[in-house]
Amino acid sequence: MRTKRMTLLFIAAAIVTALCGSVATTSPHFYRDDPITREPESQDASGAASSEIGQMYEMVYNLVARRDYKPSGLRARNLNTIDEVPDSSWFTNRVGARRLTVDELVRGPIVGAPPDPSRWVIFREKTSGAHPGVTARDAKGETWFLEFDPPYYPEAATGAVVVATKFFWALGYNQVESFLTTFDPKNVTFDPKATLRRPNGKRTPFTHDDLDAILEKVARRADGTYRVVAGRLLPGKVLGNFRYEGTRPDDPNDVVPHEHRRELRALRVFGAWTNLTDLKSANTIDTLEQENGRTIVKHWLQDVGSTFGMNNDFHEWDLSWEHFFETGTTMKRLVSFGFALSPWQTVNYTEAPSIGKFEGQRFDPRTWRPQTPTTAYLELRDDDAFWAAQRVGAFNDEMIRAIVHTGEFSDAANEKALADIIIQRRDKILRTYLPAVNPIVSPRLDGGKLTFDNAAVMARVAESPQTYRASWFEFDNATGNTRALLATSSGTTTIEAPSGLPAAVGGFVGVDISAESTEFPAWRRPVRVYFRRESNDWKLVGLERIPEDGSIQRATR
Amino acid sequence: MGAVRLFGILMTVTLVSGAATAAFAQTSEPDSRQAVVEQAQSEKAGSLHPYVPSRAERLITQLENALVNATTTWHPYFQNAYSGGGFALGAGYMRHVSPYNFVDVRGSYSVSGYKLAEAEFSAPRLFHRRGQLSMIGGWRDATEVGFYGFGSNTTLSNRANYAFDQPYGGARMTFWPTRRLFMLRGGVDVARWSLTDPTGRSPSVQAVYTPATLPGLGTVTTLRHSQATVGIDSRLSDGYARRGGFYGVTAHDFSDNDSRFGFRQVDYEAIQHIPILRETWVISLRGLASTTWRKNGQQIPFFTLPSLGGGSNLRGFSSWRFRDQNSLLLQAEWRIMVNRFFDTAVFYDTGKVAANRSDLDFDGLRNDYGFGARFHSPFATVFRIDVARSREGTRLVFASSAVF
Repeated sequence: MRTKRMTLLFIAAAIVTALCGSVATTSPHFYRDDPITREPESQDASGAASSEIGQMYEMVYNLVARRDYKPSGLRARNLNTIDEVPDSSWFTNRVGARRLTVDELVRGPIVGAPPDPSRWVIFREKTSGAHPGVTARDAKGETWFLEFDPPYYPEAATGAVVVATKFFWALGYNQVESFLTTFDPKNVTFDPKATLRRPNGKRTPFTHDDLDAILEKVARRADGTYRVVAGRLLPGKVLGNFRYEGTRPDDPNDVVPHEHRRELRALRVFGAWTNLTDLKSANTIDTLEQENGRTIVKHWLQDVGSTFGMNNDFHEWDLSWEHFFETGTTMKRLVSFGFALSPWQTVNYTEAPSIGKFEGQRFDPRTWRPQTPTTAYLELRDDDAFWAAQRVGAFNDEMIRAIVHTGEFSDAANEKALADIIIQRRDKILRTYLPAVNPIVSPRLDGGKLTFDNAAVMARVAESPQTYRASWFEFDNATGNTRALLATSSGTTTIEAPSGLPAAVGGFVGVDISAESTEFPAWRRPVRVYFRRESNDWKLVGLERIPEDGSIQRATR
Repeated sequence: MGAVRLFGILMTVTLVSGAATAAFAQTSEPDSRQAVVEQAQSEKAGSLHPYVPSRAERLITQLENALVNATTTWHPYFQNAYSGGGFALGAGYMRHVSPYNFVDVRGSYSVSGYKLAEAEFSAPRLFHRRGQLSMIGGWRDATEVGFYGFGSNTTLSNRANYAFDQPYGGARMTFWPTRRLFMLRGGVDVARWSLTDPTGRSPSVQAVYTPATLPGLGTVTTLRHSQATVGIDSRLSDGYARRGGFYGVTAHDFSDNDSRFGFRQVDYEAIQHIPILRETWVISLRGLASTTWRKNGQQIPFFTLPSLGGGSNLRGFSSWRFRDQNSLLLQAEWRIMVNRFFDTAVFYDTGKVAANRSDLDFDGLRNDYGFGARFHSPFATVFRIDVARSREGTRLVFASSAVF
């Protein structure tokens, strides 16, 4: 009897302890600084060490080990509370987040002066990129990575690098400063210490014959000079490539698994738009940089030259239509003796000296394929794709044509054709991804009225729905409890708020906004938004387009 | 009473500890989103470590280094000592002796007991990348090579076997004056043919023929061979191509030390790959005619006569199935790109041998057809399996090179 009573007493004490603990660790739903606009990087990362990923391993891993990968369905983990990606060492909000002038766009990532091509001092081979090149110092002594055009596309490879770096910079990624310039063999000397790695593994002096071997494989102008794209040496210590899953174990600030970073998932959309087919880790780079007195790891998309139909082989017809290896198409062609045709076999490419295998007629962003997928690519959800499509849609025709013009293509008709295809692909991305989810954006609560925009309607890829509905509720930020208020509706993007909204500063109100559209049933799934009462107005503090309910949102098929 | 006191003590301890926990939590619980993230980063800072590759990553990276960046490497070797020896397995060891030049020492042993041991010196980058030199020396032993008689009208029952072991050595230089398209090749080699007793179920050639009926029989012959090729080659590689072609003529001169055996041979070869529908399909065509002339009444040893049959020409027939002083071979393949690393092919081979050049016509051709599968890199055929059917049955071909 005594033992039984003792047992009960211990259980009671344990329950009390548990309750105390649980009360003490409850976190508010929204913090005072929500939504944050900058992802903190609070720790010193100077101990991060260089590490490379083997290209063969990455290819095998992505094509074979990840072949039956089931996406987690998890919402991206680096979002702020209003479903946006804060600025970070990975990403900076530019297009779509603020108004970019054409001057800013055409300047892109460039902050320094262009190279002085009156003298090139070669000191090493080029260590990255698909096309032949060298590492050289210009007449001012600055180091550049020079890349040439292949003979069959005498302007396309260099043009693709320059144009793509501007698109990806505007989209928010860290980009290498790239310039189109001239390489005249008459102005070339060799650094006395210039070496080249030979097949025997040793480095021996870089010779004129080595340079000739490169120049024989590239496009040459009639005057004997070469058009090259010069990429400026990145600042800081190079740490090798980043991976599209997991985190860097030596970077304390890298706490979000890369496959759950929205900007990395969104490369599936941006890659489809620009045809960035070489979406592998080897084309990325991490560097150590000083920022605000602290050493951090900065993440770059180092090489985006495999865009607009350019890659490393003239005969790669299937680029962007199939991965390097796919069981389905392999079996299909095997049993049909090749008669089961894939789209790339009949698609009408617009090929020209300045355009690779690139087209917009049969382009479908959902079926677009890089050479190898990445885990981040596989994790893309519809809300990630919607976010990305909004940014793609932020480029108007004038902006696109201005960026393409920086490719300095000699034939205006080809330049126009390239821009036309990019515009056509942009429109397809908007039509595909904006209406696929409830496209309510930019909700504002002011003067007793809830106002918002419909991104799909604004982009003219969908008709206005018949009705918008708003279900209002009070929200207790400490407990997460809600209390339903009235529901209101409207035929426009302005809906009256009900009376009785919290008046006290710090109070929260939530609204589930849905739309009734016969064309897009997905719009019935509400976008949930939260406002916090400030002294004079309501501040948007929360937006959830697709809840974290475990259901997998497939942005692809 | 005691129990109640104990409960009181426990509650006191619990509440105090709970309060302490709450107080601690309040001081450490983040009060902003920034603090939440910073706390996670701070926690991670206590457990940093360098990236540790998985075992699979280490293995594949080692393999990549061996294949792409290797400077000294062991490698598998599947080349047979002589055609018809069956599946061969061997190994080689390659070592660079200068930035580009290397020596490869290798050997193989086949299911029919054919043995090969040789060393090759390769200089792939001569004359400002216009020339390639290969020097090779070795020894091989072929234990049961078939001989079916002369001409195209022999039967399988005519088969007799011979064997030989052979030391050999030679050098070959390829020169591209314009770096591409126009190709010149020249070479010299010496081989000692020493016939030995064959193995296998078929009778020995010594038992069926005499030196009078079969030139070369019963002798140990050292043949000097020189050759020169002029060609136009528009293929990206002769190891694997989906477009382009090769058109060339090769002149050979064979002689021995005592002017007993001596002849000249000319090979005319044309290869064309015709891509269809963005290289989904490739029609690959090859024609090869070989003609020989005796020098001043000298003889042509039977074992050096032009021949047909085997894994790279008439694939539905056994190796060395047809021999005579002249030969004609026509091959067509319909190659199907299955994926970037794998092709299949439907093929048809036809050809004949003849004593007179004037008989190299389209009468009496021997033919076969079949289906093949090939694993390849962009420039080399790594592994080829062909199943070929002829009137003499079905044959399976394993090879580590392109058929043409």
